[in-house]
Amino acid sequence: MPDPRIDLPQGTLDLLILRTLALEPQHGWAISERIHQVSSQALFVQQGSLYPALHRLERKGWIKARWGASENNRRAKFYELTRLGHKQLEREESAWRKLAAAVAQILETT
Amino acid sequence: MLNDLLLRLRSLFRRKNVEAELDDELRFHFEQQDAKFIQSGLPPQEAKRRARLEFGGMEQLKEEHRDARGVNFIETVLQDIRYGLRMLRQNPGFTVAAVLAIALGVGINVGIFSVLNGAALRLLPIPRAEQLVSVSQIFHRRTVRNTHGETSMFSYSEYLDYSEHNHVFSGLLAYEPFLEGTLAGIKMQQLLGTATSCNYFEVLNEHPAQGRGFVDSDCAASGENAVVVVSDQLWRDTFGGDPTLVGKKITLNRMAFTVIGVAPPGFTGTEPMPSAFWVPITIQKVLDAGRDRLGDDNMSWLALLGRVRPGVTMEQVRADLGVIAGRIDQLNLGRTTSLAISTATFFGRPEERESLIPVAFVILAAFGLVLLIACANVANLLLARASARQKEIALRLSIGASRWRLVRQLLTESLLLSMLGGALGSLFAFWSFASITQFVTSHLPHMFSTLAVNVAPDFRVLGYALALTLVTGILFGLIPALQSSRLDLNTALKEDGAKSGPGKKSGRFLRNTLVGAQIAVCMILLLAAGLLLRGLYYAQTVDPGFEMKDVAAAFLYPKAQGYDETRATAFMGRLRERLAGLPGVSEIAQAECAPLSHDFSAGYMTVPGRLDKVLIEYNHITPDYFSVVGIPIVRGRDFGPDETEDAPGIIVTESTARRLWPGADPLGKTLRQDTGREYSVIGVAKDAQVSHLGDVNAPYLYFPAGPQDNMRTYVLVRFAGSFTPVDKAIREAVRLLDPDMPVDVVRLEDYLEVWRSPSRIVAALSGALGVLAVLLASIGVYGMVSYNVSRCVREIGIRMALGADRTEVMKLVIEQAMRPVLIGGLAGLAACAAVSHVLSSMLFGLSAHDPLAFISVPLLLLVIALAASYVPARRAMRVDPIVALRYE
Repeated sequence: MPDPRIDLPQGTLDLLILRTLALEPQHGWAISERIHQVSSQALFVQQGSLYPALHRLERKGWIKARWGASENNRRAKFYELTRLGHKQLEREESAWRKLAAAVAQILETT
Repeated sequence: MLNDLLLRLRSLFRRKNVEAELDDELRFHFEQQDAKFIQSGLPPQEAKRRARLEFGGMEQLKEEHRDARGVNFIETVLQDIRYGLRMLRQNPGFTVAAVLAIALGVGINVGIFSVLNGAALRLLPIPRAEQLVSVSQIFHRRTVRNTHGETSMFSYSEYLDYSEHNHVFSGLLAYEPFLEGTLAGIKMQQLLGTATSCNYFEVLNEHPAQGRGFVDSDCAASGENAVVVVSDQLWRDTFGGDPTLVGKKITLNRMAFTVIGVAPPGFTGTEPMPSAFWVPITIQKVLDAGRDRLGDDNMSWLALLGRVRPGVTMEQVRADLGVIAGRIDQLNLGRTTSLAISTATFFGRPEERESLIPVAFVILAAFGLVLLIACANVANLLLARASARQKEIALRLSIGASRWRLVRQLLTESLLLSMLGGALGSLFAFWSFASITQFVTSHLPHMFSTLAVNVAPDFRVLGYALALTLVTGILFGLIPALQSSRLDLNTALKEDGAKSGPGKKSGRFLRNTLVGAQIAVCMILLLAAGLLLRGLYYAQTVDPGFEMKDVAAAFLYPKAQGYDETRATAFMGRLRERLAGLPGVSEIAQAECAPLSHDFSAGYMTVPGRLDKVLIEYNHITPDYFSVVGIPIVRGRDFGPDETEDAPGIIVTESTARRLWPGADPLGKTLRQDTGREYSVIGVAKDAQVSHLGDVNAPYLYFPAGPQDNMRTYVLVRFAGSFTPVDKAIREAVRLLDPDMPVDVVRLEDYLEVWRSPSRIVAALSGALGVLAVLLASIGVYGMVSYNVSRCVREIGIRMALGADRTEVMKLVIEQAMRPVLIGGLAGLAACAAVSHVLSSMLFGLSAHDPLAFISVPLLLLVIALAASYVPARRAMRVDPIVALRYE
């Protein structure tokens, strides 16, 4: 079975997590599922990178965690964006767009 | 930032909770994934498998997560410490040996540092000493400057200038240290005192316990107001704690002084040598008769201490005083000075620093060498142990520990060792060095015996101990750690370490190098001690070229007692008559400098026809001098009985004649003084070491003594029989003529002691260090050999099975052991030969490459090394081939 997934470029995981959390607070599994779905199954976040990334973002104060009940009423850890996190998201989004545009431009001209 | 810290702390202190939460979170994720797979129609079993597959290793994930939390570092350090302590407990023998070696090394280093700290780094022992700065001036161009003490000191007028015009001190005081005073009484006493400006006690904030300190009016007029403050010790020892002493008169240098106060207990002035009394600076010319330093504007004799106003910085002090120095320079043509300003300590003046720093450096280096040997020892033990732990380390590496992680673990262990050793050693040093210092100073020549050194530990000593301990731990731990974490996993895991011969090549090389280094350091220390001991023996047995047996020297200083030339001459004439009549006295002579008394006079002379000036030491002597000290006149004649300095005759030594007039007859040749006076040589005396012990060849000449030489003179008396009655009789004779005249009577041989004591102290020091070093190094050699033997049991067994006999095996083992010893020994020998000339001033003419020392010391060391390797090597001899081949 050929894997349709592509690897995440370095440094984009933070952006994706922040973007996903910008809509509503989510627990870890939902975040990875959402990225998977929204990217039309192209992106898949390994647990091995997801949780360290979440804890790193938490340490930086961009997201914060609290325990809550999941949709099937299980205890789950929900992450939400902080004010700092919103700002960081804006910064990273614009940086990404610039980068993507630049890369696209180069790819088209050559 | 704060957020970060809080999370880290939370993780650290509520580790269980955090770990449980992490577990929950991951489990939740896993279950969700599992549920999803079931929903998509997979059978439960397959769903679980897929979920688990996707999830990856739970533990690795947790570990990564812990790294992300950032607590791993602290956690692993704690873990390492726990593990390290466990390892140390498991090998008590090793731990005790290592800790003791480090304790010894660190202990003596911390001890000697606390002594140096007490001598030269500590603040002065007075209230709020951190506010006190000492001020010195440094003359840049060659300036003609009169000096009494050190050139960097100040004249009285300069002091007044600084005192009146500065804006940074609440008070600036000046004092003349080391003022000699003779206290008259039932027993005459020579005291060391201080002449001070009258704000002295006020600026130092030391208020007399009884009576008062000086007030401005005490210093108002030059040569008046003979008042004195005595030290607490003088008050107790000499005046028996007389409660009514204040207001009474005491006699210092023949002058009556009124005691106005007794200094507070424990206050001994601001110099390392305690002051017994304080007098106003203005009385100086009376106390030190005939010399007016007060009025000499070009005289360096006063040390300056200022108390800085609160809030004023050191830069401001420098700037403010710099302005005054600049103005004084402008007023004095050709003078450029700069000021040296520093927080006041003992030995703080530039000249004192300059002479102290190299000495301190050499001492610290010598003690450091012993620590180095101890480090090498422990490193060797660690290396030996590392190969025993090869399997453990290989296992840790193979299950994924990084090399850095292992090095950290091993370093933690060695730091634990060094901390234990360092703490033990420092405690020992703090506890014992006060009494050791006291013991040592009380055995120094009398002028040092009262040195006030506070060796109690302060933050500087503690810092030094800590730094030394850490450096030690890294020094002996790093190489073994790097070495043992670099493993070939395959071989290490497959083979049992012990079977792979005597350790790996590089490990063995390292161990040999360490042993070699120990031996080299030992060699240096022992050779230094050996040379000095040889020098001492040499000084005892060498013929100085004159007779010092049965000659007494009496030092008299009538000028200091207010005598003029006529009175002094009359006094000396009568004294000599009396001495000549004493039973047992055969001959009497007088000299300006007694042989080897550390009293020197020297001046420049020119040889007519030559341009250069020669610095020549000289002596003024009476005619009997040569026969009293037994120096023969080899050419020409002795001085006649009535010949004085007015006559142009001088006597030179043989080597002086050879140097000044090579190949010519010196008789009748002339020498010219700077004043233009010419002298002609009437005789040549045999060379003798009269000035510096061990130095025969220095230019030296004799003038006939004149009446002015009676003002300060040594009377040399040749006697028969024992010294004690002669000593007594001479003192009695002086006392009968003038009861207040101090006289110092010694045997000429006693002067030798003063020459020998520095090298005796250094020899004792380097000898003691050398013995410690040998002890440590022989343990090192012993350890190396017994380790090698234990690793080679199999090899030895095979050799024996193939027919080698015991002595051959023994030879093999000892040969192996001796290679690093010999190489290290040679290196030490070469190093010592290269630097031993620094000792030459303490060797009394003995060559710095004295063959006897350079042969016997290495032999001794070789014998010790052989013995240290023989004991474990004997074990190799007793190896039973059958047992050895089965060994492990």
